[in-house]
Amino acid sequence: MDFEFSVIIESLPALFEGAKLTWYITILGIIGGMIFGILAGLGRIAGTAALGEKPHGIFIWVSVLIRYISGGYVELIRGTPIIVQAMFLYFAFPMLVKAVTDIERFRIEALTAAVITIVVNAGAYIAEIVRGSVISVNKGLLEAGMSLGISRFQLIVHVIGPIAIRRMIPPLGNQFIISLKDTSLFIVIGVGELTRQGQEIMASNFRALEIWLTVAIIYLMMTTTLSMTLRHFEKKMKMF
Amino acid sequence: MPNIIELKNVCKSFGNTEVLHNIDFAVEEGEVVVVIGPSGSGKSTLIRCINCLEMITTGELIVDSIRIPDEQGRIRQIRLEVGMVFQQFNLFPHMTAIENVAFGPSKARRMNKAKATDIARGLLDRVGLAEFEHQLPGQLSGGQQQRVAIARALAVSPKVLMFDEPTSALDPEMIGEVLDVMKSIANDSGMTMIVVTHEMGFAAQVGDRLIFMDDGRIVEEGKPGDVMKNPQSERLKDFLGHVKHH
Ligand SMILES: Nc1ncnc2c1ncn2[C@@H]1O[C@H](COP(=O)(O)OP(=O)(O)OP(=O)(O)O)[C@@H](O)[C@H]1O
Ligand SMILES: [Mg+2]
Repeated sequence: MDFEFSVIIESLPALFEGAKLTWYITILGIIGGMIFGILAGLGRIAGTAALGEKPHGIFIWVSVLIRYISGGYVELIRGTPIIVQAMFLYFAFPMLVKAVTDIERFRIEALTAAVITIVVNAGAYIAEIVRGSVISVNKGLLEAGMSLGISRFQLIVHVIGPIAIRRMIPPLGNQFIISLKDTSLFIVIGVGELTRQGQEIMASNFRALEIWLTVAIIYLMMTTTLSMTLRHFEKKMKMF
Repeated sequence: MPNIIELKNVCKSFGNTEVLHNIDFAVEEGEVVVVIGPSGSGKSTLIRCINCLEMITTGELIVDSIRIPDEQGRIRQIRLEVGMVFQQFNLFPHMTAIENVAFGPSKARRMNKAKATDIARGLLDRVGLAEFEHQLPGQLSGGQQQRVAIARALAVSPKVLMFDEPTSALDPEMIGEVLDVMKSIANDSGMTMIVVTHEMGFAAQVGDRLIFMDDGRIVEEGKPGDVMKNPQSERLKDFLGHVKHH
């Protein structure tokens, strides 16, 4: 078996370009996914005792509507493969737009489609993480806060939030790593991320061993960075 | 003394099960009422209805002249005036002892942090925990946690303090320290108190009135000494026989 280090050295600049793009999609995707996830996660428990007081009057129906929308989103995304979501967004969605409007040349950039896919996909899983952490907060703490006359909003900010966030960190780390690796699927819509770069170099020099080994190591470095960052956060928080 | 709490013909149901039946009950300012009764008799539900942790199903509740259900929008006002101490302490686990106590004044009474902390420090001192202000709840014993919880409830200066079996989750050697704090609150500050407990010694010593609940009804009430010495109903005789053997 011949193993050529020079092949690795030569391929590094292109692979690093791919890695940059992978990193870019991941970071934007995670940030957007957190926003979606927090909204949908809280949305799924809107108006329930987990967030303090139950609503009255019209707010009962508003909260039911919010719960259905959030729940529908989570089920839809969790129930379909991410690769199908990406292809739908990139290939099918523009056709749908064309069919129902008269915008002729509507299209989505591959990179944009990739970022949106991660945002929407990670958001659904993060919603479940948020929901799970919030409902795991002891209800007695809410009652203690309420019986001091503290508002529901302040209880969410100062009691439920801080406690739930500590519980979210480990599963969030998991999800961030999954999202990073999911970017490799965007090879199917032609985004030049790390896996795609590896694939292209491979196709020109057929050095599978060197290239895929290098690609794997670069992924590992990126996922390790993510998990170390989260570990750092975890350590910085006052634990109890 | 005027009534600070009044329940008029109050019923409370969970789903289709009625657990409080036509309760008429009033507490005067400065009175210490002790509530006893077997498990499931509705003691917790009764006091949870008073600070609206549970909403009454029918009837009327008047707390500090706020009427429920008419003035549903003023529930927070009721809660500011009626503090509660729980069996399981329920301290905020991510806050130190002093942060737990200062939280109420700073968020519910909107005091500035320095003033809230001052009040908290004074109250921790009063419950004998001055040296523990920077400990997290997890680093305190059960008795110490419950004393912090009492200080926390006092910190928003409520007019009434309710206790739901405050010593039932404690090891026997820690019960005394918590009861002592409760006695001193009753004696020194003339606080109105409603105490659900099975500590009959405390009831006799501090209580102005003893209430025996059974099956969602107030079955007997009167001066603690009288009620304990001359129970009228079989249920109460039975019940007292049981608690005495503990
Ligand atoms: N949230 C709830 N949903 C349904 N039923 C409830 C709820 N809370 C209490 N109950 C029922 O109401 C009745 C009275 O309960 P409550 O907790 O008030 O009794 P208690 O006298 O405090 O008993 P214990 O001494 O065990 O604390 C019980 O039958 C209980 O099962
Ligand atoms: Mg109870």
